Amino acid sequence: MYKVLPENIKRGHTILEARGITKRFPGVVANDRIDFKIRLGEIHAVLGENGAGKTTLMKILFGQYQPDEGEIFIGGEEVRFKSPLDAIDLGIGMVHQHRKLIPAHSVIENIILGHPRAGKILNLKRAEQEVLEICEKYGFSLDLNAKVWQLSEGEKQLVEIIKALYRGAEVLILDEPSSALTPVETEKLLISIKAMSEGDLAIVPFITHKLPIVLQISDRVTVLRKGKVVSCIDTSEATEQSLAKEMVGRDVIFRTQRTTVEKGETIIQVNDLSAFSDKGVMALNGVSFSIREGEIFGVAGISGNGQRELVEVLAGLRKPEGGSVSLDEVDITFADSLKRWRLGIGYVPADRIAMGSIADFSLVENVTMNYYFDHEYYRRGVLDTKKIRELTNDIIAEYDVITPNVDIVAKCLSGGNLQKLILARVLSRKPRLVIVDLPTQGLDVGATEFVRNKLIDAKKEGACVLLISEDLDEVLSLSDWVAPIYEGEFMGILPGEDAKRELVGAMMAGIHLDEESA
Amino acid sequence: MAEFFIRSLDASTIFTIAALGELIGQRSGILNVGIEGVMLFGATLGFITAKTTGSYLLGFLVGIAVGGLIGLLHGIFSITLGGDQVVSGMGIWILGFGLTTYIGSPYTGPLGMERIPTILGLSPFFFVAIGLTVIIWFILSRTSLGLRIRSVGENPEVAEVSGISVAKTRYLCVVGGGMLMGFAGAIYSLDYNPVWNYNFLLGRGFIALALVFFSMWNPFILLGGSILFGTLWQLSLNPQLFLPGLMSRYIWRTVPFAITLGALLLMSTKWFRTKWGAATPEALGQPYVKD
Ligand SMILES: Nc1ncnc2c1ncn2[C@@H]1O[C@H](COP(=O)(O)OP(=O)(O)O)[C@@H](O)[C@H]1O
Ligand SMILES: [Mg+2]
Repeated sequence: MYKVLPENIKRGHTILEARGITKRFPGVVANDRIDFKIRLGEIHAVLGENGAGKTTLMKILFGQYQPDEGEIFIGGEEVRFKSPLDAIDLGIGMVHQHRKLIPAHSVIENIILGHPRAGKILNLKRAEQEVLEICEKYGFSLDLNAKVWQLSEGEKQLVEIIKALYRGAEVLILDEPSSALTPVETEKLLISIKAMSEGDLAIVPFITHKLPIVLQISDRVTVLRKGKVVSCIDTSEATEQSLAKEMVGRDVIFRTQRTTVEKGETIIQVNDLSAFSDKGVMALNGVSFSIREGEIFGVAGISGNGQRELVEVLAGLRKPEGGSVSLDEVDITFADSLKRWRLGIGYVPADRIAMGSIADFSLVENVTMNYYFDHEYYRRGVLDTKKIRELTNDIIAEYDVITPNVDIVAKCLSGGNLQKLILARVLSRKPRLVIVDLPTQGLDVGATEFVRNKLIDAKKEGACVLLISEDLDEVLSLSDWVAPIYEGEFMGILPGEDAKRELVGAMMAGIHLDEESA
Repeated sequence: MAEFFIRSLDASTIFTIAALGELIGQRSGILNVGIEGVMLFGATLGFITAKTTGSYLLGFLVGIAVGGLIGLLHGIFSITLGGDQVVSGMGIWILGFGLTTYIGSPYTGPLGMERIPTILGLSPFFFVAIGLTVIIWFILSRTSLGLRIRSVGENPEVAEVSGISVAKTRYLCVVGGGMLMGFAGAIYSLDYNPVWNYNFLLGRGFIALALVFFSMWNPFILLGGSILFGTLWQLSLNPQLFLPGLMSRYIWRTVPFAITLGALLLMSTKWFRTKWGAATPEALGQPYVKD
């Protein structure tokens, strides 16, 4: 294929070098004189909080942005990329944080799209053969004729990786590769990354959170903070603590301590609840539990085991098939979502962009979404915008949402800030029950810490929290009760202090508590 | 009876070719609701050319060229200028209706040329329509160009990152599609019913538009649907043939739309989507602006 690299570059030699890269956007210097070297065959993690400038740097290396200053060298020769195509031709491949695939097309069609050797009349057989060789070489398995919309997140990412490899990538940049993956998929990805680096590829994963991954797989790590390189060291010299400190610029308390507070009345009581999924299969299969004032109830499990259905039924977005739910002894099994808000259920959805907010609405309007039905905020059907604006300003200050003002549209906020805003508007209602679905997914360590502390504050004030998470550490460190969920059933409900990692991990994989102890 | 079916197939020829033109445009993400206007242009100017020069060939060529030109116009507005495609399409229809009435009125009346010979009693264009269906199916599903067209219609951004020029591909499709619509118009006025009259298409363009949605953007379903719609249309002209006195022709003419609505409803069901995925080109009707 495109063997463009000078043959004399061996494993361990510098293949790609960036010198003094500076990129400014209105109001920010996203990259500030960055020096960066990648060696052939290494896994070189780039670490930094949201907004540190990782994606910008990568887009420059991939030709998507042109740097304001600085040069890029490949194999010692200076190169200039006018578009990603130039970078692809020189052996650079990139997997974006947000999938760049066409869901309606098959895997193989996505892989060969735009490939110079696709030919006039598609020779899918030959292409499949070549792609299968790549898969075999690195131990990937994938159905090439499946449609992309049918694939899981991890498989979609693999399609993009294969697409880059098929185009002849020798430097593979992965932007937040694990952010949308389940723990099992992440494990698989890590194995793939290892396999690829053995095959003389340079891999550059960009990671905001999940520091253990960095330690586990990378050879070297570069930490960015506010657009600058703060360190570049061999991973063997780093620890989770030291990396976090460099990222954030201060010490980070890793394991949020479980604080036990006085437990009060039972707030929510769920009996034998079941529900169908969108596909019409029984996804939630008779779960029962109750949460009292001052408790966090953690549901641990890999996505797709009924969590979504559970949350949607409790939030009033999905009809239960059986069972009952009561809140403060009021039966709400069939209550609609608005009634639940009024009775004191607050819901923070997993997908903050699609379900948690309206991207083109201002922050004030987004806050209004949880307040428009309160008499305090409207008079004779007309919203009291002044009051809501005050409220928005208050909660933004309290929750440390970084934004120039409250009139910018939600899509301008970074992930962490948007999540803080959504959490703020829910918690400021002082709900009795807070449902949080994957509250820290994709957030950097600073924002994660903040969100977790707010949940603890909520329980201290006498609310109860239903926490859905894939992050075992999160569930274990926050919850008073841990319920591992598997195929729509709780595998048991453990008191927080008895929930040991290995035990919960086994239960998440489908081993029932009784079998375990037997 | 045989004549009824022949007439139905001839009517379906016009639907098929016009709808194929719309289909390739839509597959690339460009909706042209002004298809009736494009056909009126092709039909009228093709008719005038043939009548004044006495050449069928010139008539068809002018019809095709005019269709391509209007397609280009629609492209400039919706691709280069990023305008609203529905607005542009409505404009084309209104312009086509007005302008062709104005240009065409002096030519009101029959063409007065020897009829184009038939093959097995059918218009030769029926076979052209079948050929075009197969060719367009092949291009869309089996060639690199087709993959590019479909990608641009699904997700222009992804296509662009993969090294495909969204604008070029879309222009190719709207111009090519416009040519087919113009051709279909010319077939109407030169072969199917060679008499010029104002607004003589009577909404056939809109049926072709509905047909594309009915077809789930698949050329073969489109061909089948157009034979069905052609038959229904023919029925609407002679309702007494099968069901005397049952319904007025105006009701009959809405039947294709009712069927299309049914098909669209089916496509939007959860059952359909989980089984087949979304049939609609994802980026249909959305302008693509590079950042
Ligand atoms: N296209 C853009 N226009 C304006 N500002 C941008 C753009 N892309 C990134 N930024 C800004 O540049 C900074 C770095 O962003 P980014 O590279 O995405 O960070 P990271 O990937 O580390 O989270 C942020 O402050 C972000 O708001
Ligand atoms: Mg980023």
